[in-house]
Amino acid sequence: MKILVALDTQKYSRKIVKDVARLAQNTLADIVFLGVQAETAEPAEELTLALTKYQQDVYSYFSSDELPYGDLSQAKWQKEDKGDWLISAKGIKEFSLRIRSGGVAKQVVQVARDTACDLIILGCDEEFGCEWDGEMNVPLRIAEDAPCSVLVIKKSLAVKQIVSILDQSVVSQDALEMVNQLVTLYDAGLKIVGVQEKGGGKKDQIEQRMVELLRYYNEREVSGWVTLIDSEQVKKYVTNSSKEAIVALWMGNKQSLIKRLFSQSMVDKLLSTSRSSVFILR
Amino acid sequence: MLKTLLYVNEDLASSIALRFTDYLNKFVKLSLYIIHVEEPDAKEQVGTGWVRRTWEDGVRSSGKRLVDRMLRTENIDCPLAGRPKIVVEESDFLGERKDREVVYELGNGMYKLFIKGYLDSADPEKFYELISSKLSTETSCPMLVVKNLSLSKKCALLCADSVDPKLLVEKSMDILGDSTFDLDLVFFKFKENEELRVLDPKEGGSYLRETEALLAERDKVVNNVTVLSGTPEQVGDYLKDYALVASTLPSRKSMRMYTLAHSLASVLLVG
Repeated sequence: MKILVALDTQKYSRKIVKDVARLAQNTLADIVFLGVQAETAEPAEELTLALTKYQQDVYSYFSSDELPYGDLSQAKWQKEDKGDWLISAKGIKEFSLRIRSGGVAKQVVQVARDTACDLIILGCDEEFGCEWDGEMNVPLRIAEDAPCSVLVIKKSLAVKQIVSILDQSVVSQDALEMVNQLVTLYDAGLKIVGVQEKGGGKKDQIEQRMVELLRYYNEREVSGWVTLIDSEQVKKYVTNSSKEAIVALWMGNKQSLIKRLFSQSMVDKLLSTSRSSVFILR
Repeated sequence: MLKTLLYVNEDLASSIALRFTDYLNKFVKLSLYIIHVEEPDAKEQVGTGWVRRTWEDGVRSSGKRLVDRMLRTENIDCPLAGRPKIVVEESDFLGERKDREVVYELGNGMYKLFIKGYLDSADPEKFYELISSKLSTETSCPMLVVKNLSLSKKCALLCADSVDPKLLVEKSMDILGDSTFDLDLVFFKFKENEELRVLDPKEGGSYLRETEALLAERDKVVNNVTVLSGTPEQVGDYLKDYALVASTLPSRKSMRMYTLAHSLASVLLVG
């Protein structure tokens, strides 16, 4: 698994490092820390220092004999391309720090594509909804455009439940495992919520997906509570759940009911109103 | 051994019910029987006499294969006390027939407990439909509505001002009296609070005291007595830490009915 973590120098980025470290411990993932800056000839010192500090913080969560990543202390920033700098070290797994120039959302999505990441993690400022360095639509654009799953961490609450909302779409193994990791990370309960079209269409397929999920998690000794709701109830249900729980939305293909129900404005609203974190799974 | 009838279909609700029954057997020794009602398409139904009997045999075989598939897939440890009973539904009775057959089997077979899977829904009306159906109101024994596979070692009796303590204790102890579950008492008081509040046990009043006394008479140890003040949704969510919650069958739409509808834990309806 490869995790891309979008970071800047703000408090909300500092606060997600602990969660990233625990995920790294549980998944032994390759990690890319990405900072995006305005167009300049060299990487900004403030950003390089911040990324290095975050990386050291993650390393500090591992004992020296368990650290799966290589030593980055002597590594120098290398220019990969115009507006693209990288330092990287490989142990059993690879840890990279990367700085790119340009628009934040566009660069994060581009790096996720180029490096075939499975998951993007970012924080956001919750004061006025879900802001990134004063811009409201950065987390939304990343959540919308990313080629992989996206976890937006608003606040490291003591989350008691992960509410996993799915339709009949096929669920990828990586996405299943990521929800499992979140359950472990927060020591939370798992609620599997199936959404069906009003009138009961495709109920068998949804139930089949829920059976698969339940089996997957039961085999990993994670108990899940299951609930089936109508498509008409989903927005209210998600809004209510997001007050206390982490909502994981399984966005499927074009035929996906959830994708149709959760238009861009609805994902935006969810990001704004959620008190904890939002997980968009693909 | 508690003679128990479990309704099985090929769906998620039955899948969970089978696994929960298997889990329940670790705490309450069950003598387990299975029933399945096969519902052929009305257009498929044919003839009279031997033609019909031959057709019914085919439908019954199909139902038997379904039950076998479910048992194989869920691979439960709890042994069956008899062969699964497969009933063919007739079109002129539509859905009522299914309930009628199960109700008949429950009475005729002298079962002590009926178990049915129910896929939890955010819509409490669906739960009300179930508990006001013939299956719930005309059965001769308590019904366990399995909503989830909650692997907890404790169960609760849900009390409220509308719950008759004698009925609740007598009937629920017929099922849970010899079980190895840890027992809690939860008293529900409806109030529109922002958050669920835990009140002093004195707030449970005489009904709660009487319930405690009746359990003490039976030498049942109650681990925790909790008086909760909140909405059905809040209390329903609180109950998720129990394997099951027992209460008397609500006869109408009440706050307790909504609480049981919102309970993520399975619900044992007695009375």
